[in-house]
Amino acid sequence: MQSRAIDFNPQAAPAFLLPLPGKLFADRADRFAELATGHGLGDWLVFLGQLTGAQHAALQALPALPLPDAVTLAQARTHAMPPLNAAALARPPAWRAVLRQLAGTLDGAAPEAARIVLAGLAAADDSRLEALADALLAGEAEPGDLAALPFVAAALQVVFTRLASDLDPAQLQPLDARALCPCCGSPPVASIVRLGTAIDRLRYLHCSLCNSEWHLPRATCTACGSDAALALLEPEGGQGAVRAEACDACRSYLKIVDQQKDAGVDPVADDLTTLSLDLLVDAAGYARSGQNLLLIGGDA
Amino acid sequence: MKFTRRQFLKLSSAGLGGSSIVLMGFSPTAALAEARAYKLARAVETRNTCPYCSVACGLLMYSIGDKSKNVQQDIIHIEGDPDHPVSRGSLCPKGAGLLDFIHSPNRLKYPEVREAGSKEWKRISWDEALDRVAALMKEDRDANFVAQNAEGVTVNRWLTTGLLAASASSNEAGYITHKVVRATGMIAFDNQARV
Repeated sequence: MQSRAIDFNPQAAPAFLLPLPGKLFADRADRFAELATGHGLGDWLVFLGQLTGAQHAALQALPALPLPDAVTLAQARTHAMPPLNAAALARPPAWRAVLRQLAGTLDGAAPEAARIVLAGLAAADDSRLEALADALLAGEAEPGDLAALPFVAAALQVVFTRLASDLDPAQLQPLDARALCPCCGSPPVASIVRLGTAIDRLRYLHCSLCNSEWHLPRATCTACGSDAALALLEPEGGQGAVRAEACDACRSYLKIVDQQKDAGVDPVADDLTTLSLDLLVDAAGYARSGQNLLLIGGDA
Repeated sequence: MKFTRRQFLKLSSAGLGGSSIVLMGFSPTAALAEARAYKLARAVETRNTCPYCSVACGLLMYSIGDKSKNVQQDIIHIEGDPDHPVSRGSLCPKGAGLLDFIHSPNRLKYPEVREAGSKEWKRISWDEALDRVAALMKEDRDANFVAQNAEGVTVNRWLTTGLLAASASSNEAGYITHKVVRATGMIAFDNQARV
């Protein structure tokens, strides 16, 4: 009789999880709607849910976008650079159409102040929109533009999510800067402890721009890599679904959402529904290392 | 003056009024009130290795209390480390019960002796324990050491005492244990995980 050893681990855990364009924003919109009920910032969260729903619609309607050519991709790989480097990539012009589409869809749902911003974006010419995108991605903006940036970000997220979802995960590699997205080089929004067969309880960082995820061992600081002085912070009585992972070595923190505690957690939506945790951790002296592009802070 | 990425990221009670929430026409008051009403709970997260057998599964351990503030530290949760290359987050039944080992009232924390004829265990110091063990070993070895066998061949063996070590030790500790014990001529010597 022939026998063969049982393969107990048929799937090795992937180092990168690329976004699923068919459901990512739809699931996020559902999560926003779910968390908004009874929440103190419910109006804002409902609006962000509508924005995310509009992102889903825009992504479904988006035609296929060309990836960078083979030479550029090979060069990025040789030099351990992200293939969709957000700061350097020639942005597909489709993102401006997406932004105008978002602005049109949201007009009815937005409060007065946001409606003025959306009208301004809908009327803005291409060079003005490109300047806003540059300001957002460079992390340097005029104070008067802050309110427009979440909408600009939402449109860029749609386009970069589409591009990232078409990448070949076998061609990706972790960057030297482990805190940056290996697809587009952006900072993470939060990290997520995932459930699943091969990826059970592993932690992935979630990209704030292209929604890709990359693996980073748990119990290490996502910003400085130290494992010497890490603590999990949450409001007293919390259930552990959303906590701040704070490092005393570099005094920074990033939120970590846990699918074991709540299978429906979303790194972007759950980050914004736990704003009071940010305020508490900020008061405790830790600096936030992640960015959530749907909320631009206005600290003077 | 331009806003920088540091300002984009920072979410503070003072800065929320100038954030995109307010600029879009929403009120952040509820978040500010919530932050005033709550206190932060803190759990320290560390990586460790299960000491109870030679597989050495990876552990994530969570504790409360802060050494610097003179508060009692206490381990509140232990789970398998999913990033560990060997155990991949799994633990055996013994490993899954580690938290109960740590908090067990029966946990042995210091040397004890039960004298011949006594029913009581008595706490003794480490010095006293080591002195007693060394004296008993020497007494037995002096009486029973076999330098040569019946044919006159040098064998240098000590058959009347054995040693059982636990596997809760590093590779280096195992090497030293082996060297010390074999140097006495002791033959009966084993390590095992179930002690």
